[in-house]
Amino acid sequence: MIVVVEYFGASVMTRITLILCLIVGGLPSGVSAQDSGLSKLGQQCLAIDRDKDAAWRTVDWQTDLIAAQRMAVEQQKPLFIWAMDGHPLGCT
Amino acid sequence: MSVSLDQWYTRRQQDTEGEFWRKIAAQGPRKEAGQTQQGLYLVGVDGQLLAYTNNRGPERVRGLLEQAARDYAHPVDAKPLERQSTDAKYQVALPEGAVVVRVQARVDGGYTPTDDRWESLFQSAVSRDNLWITAEEQGALAQGTVPEALAVRILRFHLVDNTRGEPPVWSREEIREWSLTIENGKLVGSAHLETEDGSRGYQATLQGELAFGQDQQLQQCHIWVEGQFWGSGPFTRNPPPGKFPLVIAFRLADGSEPADSLAPHGSRGWLPGYLRP
Repeated sequence: MIVVVEYFGASVMTRITLILCLIVGGLPSGVSAQDSGLSKLGQQCLAIDRDKDAAWRTVDWQTDLIAAQRMAVEQQKPLFIWAMDGHPLGCT
Repeated sequence: MSVSLDQWYTRRQQDTEGEFWRKIAAQGPRKEAGQTQQGLYLVGVDGQLLAYTNNRGPERVRGLLEQAARDYAHPVDAKPLERQSTDAKYQVALPEGAVVVRVQARVDGGYTPTDDRWESLFQSAVSRDNLWITAEEQGALAQGTVPEALAVRILRFHLVDNTRGEPPVWSREEIREWSLTIENGKLVGSAHLETEDGSRGYQATLQGELAFGQDQQLQQCHIWVEGQFWGSGPFTRNPPPGKFPLVIAFRLADGSEPADSLAPHGSRGWLPGYLRP
């Protein structure tokens, strides 16, 4: 069972996601059966990314404000802008 | 339409995107372009600010989005913006032939247990940054040599604790000892990074597996770093007490995530300083 609790933004820059994992046996957390062909080291590197299925990662985030405005005009939608010091998607 | 951006860049850009951003931010509580304008903005396509919050609670964010769905009236004369100019100073592009490697870090224990909701989130966070490896460096790696610029780039900018916010990177002087070599096709190494006053440091080992295509382009990259970290920076406060285990994983990006296209944190403001540290 994997429980994902999401946290959006803070006064600092990193987008943080909390994942509580209760894994009973099987592959390391975050490693799917198709990834199991990887070496142990490869699986280890893959498994650190525990929040692959987090809801925020299903959002089609745009990273170019002008391109997003053009898409918003076409789709007749407002813009929801997540602006931080450091990029919200990482690379803070 | 959801947009995420680093307003450190946007508020400085002297171009179409920067102008549009400043128009939006000037309507919010953080009008001064010289200071942070971070937050969550709900904006019409004409740049009219509809709502703003910098509250961290998901309830507030959900309320903002529900308000948009309820109240938004799309301007009948809305026009798509034309990009008239691009400020080259803030356009950090991946060098031709370079590859992107995802870098993720996690504190693997040592925190004082907490009942605080927010603190517990930080304690279990996994960070994300990108490492750029140039075409020339891939060629050297394929020949069994780790270029010093690449090694120092990894040490200075990527062996950091960025799990609680924007981290301080290491200066060259803070690299006390290091080794990074390729032996029998495997990457092996160690690092001792420490500030002059000893208040922050990281002692770690590195191991990795690399694979290349016929053109010597990196096709597989797995690097695992583990060691003891101590201390924090102005934006990474409340680390575990004393020394604590920090693990960092590197793996090749496949372009499937929006974050794969972002410039590395260490390149902010000066890409040459990142590529040739």
